[in-house]
Amino acid sequence: MPALQRPSEADKKDSPHALLPFLQTQSQTTLTRLYQRPSSCLSVFRLLAPLERQIVMNLLWLESAIATSTMVAWVQRDGRKLYEEALGNLSRLHILPNSAAKLALNFTFKTSLRQALTGGGTSGSFGVPAEKDEHSGPSIKTLDSFALERWETILHYMVSSGTGQQPAKPSQGVLFLLQRSSLMSSFHGGPLQITSSGFQFLLHSPHAQLWDLLLQYLHLAQERQMDLVEVLGFLFMLSTMELGREYLTENLSTTQGVLLEDLRDYGLIWQSKPKSRRFSPTRLGTTLTSSSPPLPTTISASSGPLDGFIVLETNYRIYAYTDNPLQTAVLNLFVSLKYRFPNLVVGMITRDSVRRALMNGITADQIISYLITHAHPQMRKNNPLLPVTVQDQIRLWELEKNRLKSSEGYLYTAFTSQADYDLVLNYAKQLDVVLWENAAKRCFFGSLEGHLRIKEFIERRTQNSNS
Amino acid sequence: MRAIKGVLFFCDPAVKQILLVMNEKQSFIIEDLDDHHLVIKADEEYRVRRELETELEKNTYSLD
Repeated sequence: MPALQRPSEADKKDSPHALLPFLQTQSQTTLTRLYQRPSSCLSVFRLLAPLERQIVMNLLWLESAIATSTMVAWVQRDGRKLYEEALGNLSRLHILPNSAAKLALNFTFKTSLRQALTGGGTSGSFGVPAEKDEHSGPSIKTLDSFALERWETILHYMVSSGTGQQPAKPSQGVLFLLQRSSLMSSFHGGPLQITSSGFQFLLHSPHAQLWDLLLQYLHLAQERQMDLVEVLGFLFMLSTMELGREYLTENLSTTQGVLLEDLRDYGLIWQSKPKSRRFSPTRLGTTLTSSSPPLPTTISASSGPLDGFIVLETNYRIYAYTDNPLQTAVLNLFVSLKYRFPNLVVGMITRDSVRRALMNGITADQIISYLITHAHPQMRKNNPLLPVTVQDQIRLWELEKNRLKSSEGYLYTAFTSQADYDLVLNYAKQLDVVLWENAAKRCFFGSLEGHLRIKEFIERRTQNSNS
Repeated sequence: MRAIKGVLFFCDPAVKQILLVMNEKQSFIIEDLDDHHLVIKADEEYRVRRELETELEKNTYSLD
């Protein structure tokens, strides 16, 4: 088996940011209103792929539209496809209206992004900083530990649900959101239980987790008739704020006031007391649209490749240098833990422990990619990084679980003549619903979706031959 | 021509043999197609899967 690529890095390069598809579904008016805020433009710009950013930058300072052919002249033949894709993405975001002849940025977007880069204009889009005075707000350390505590409370609550432990509960709003996003659900009115998508969620990077939840929040906001532009604008404003600085709540609208409280529950915002006139963004908030890690790396080892903590040996033994209850709990999902020391947890990857994880809906690839992302620096000397025996075995265990594949449908048999059989089979093949066929026995199996149309086809034919 | 509703199982020959033995106890197979394919009654799928699972578990060792 070839050495695996680091999936987390590959993902970042290939797939667009999770928010962009959501933005693309919004109407032009919504987006144009959003682009009136310089901070939003800057944030959206930061979310774009490198090529898209370059195209925007090239066009940003042009006063008039340029001919499409001029732009295309820069693009080499083999880059043409990438270029077309980038243009498509930009036009779906209504940043660069689709036009055959001329290219020019959306006027609102252009003005606001220029303003964001050069400063000036009406202030407020980047938040109103509070004057520094004697009680000069929380230190960065306070903010970090607050954000970490809030975030890990949520994750820890998820991971230990159903194990009988009683961890600290996150606030009602968070619980509701977890249930809404089907990361957790309650069976027959019982307490909340983690679902299979919840297990997968736990293995994601903190940045991805954060956006997963925020996207759910945005959907929810739409249903609650909250103004999406206000919500998005606030998130983007937060992402451009400075860590360790206090901002005033005065300029915020009522919607944003509600938002402020919700985001406090997720640990994106710190306030000294609930009705305080000032708030400070935490690192979770300020890194929303940047590529730096959302949680402080010194305290937590739960993110980033630099601070891995897992050593995996060829004999399936796993040593995790951590004292973090959350990480231990996550490992417990697919490792059978043996000993626990103040800074070290030792366990084994066994057939049973992996099967349990597979039952919970975690895939072998997710386990392997988690182990790779969190591998100890010492492990990085190995090539391939994880022992091949263990990787293969985890995959084999997954295959073993799927020895039986099934699909519902209809078996068509007892055709009167070979011609009849061929005719119906050909029709079914055109629909691409044939799962199995045997010419000698004159029968075939078609999937459920195709049945109605095949039935109609046969009925049409019998009618025709009768009349 | 006839159309019979069912569930198509795709499995390896070993699993198929186990299924055939299970079928003798309580019949659920509609049609035995070939070495890798069977059609069974749709409402029996869950039970068959569970019983197969326990049958396969008998063949594995665990250190614990």
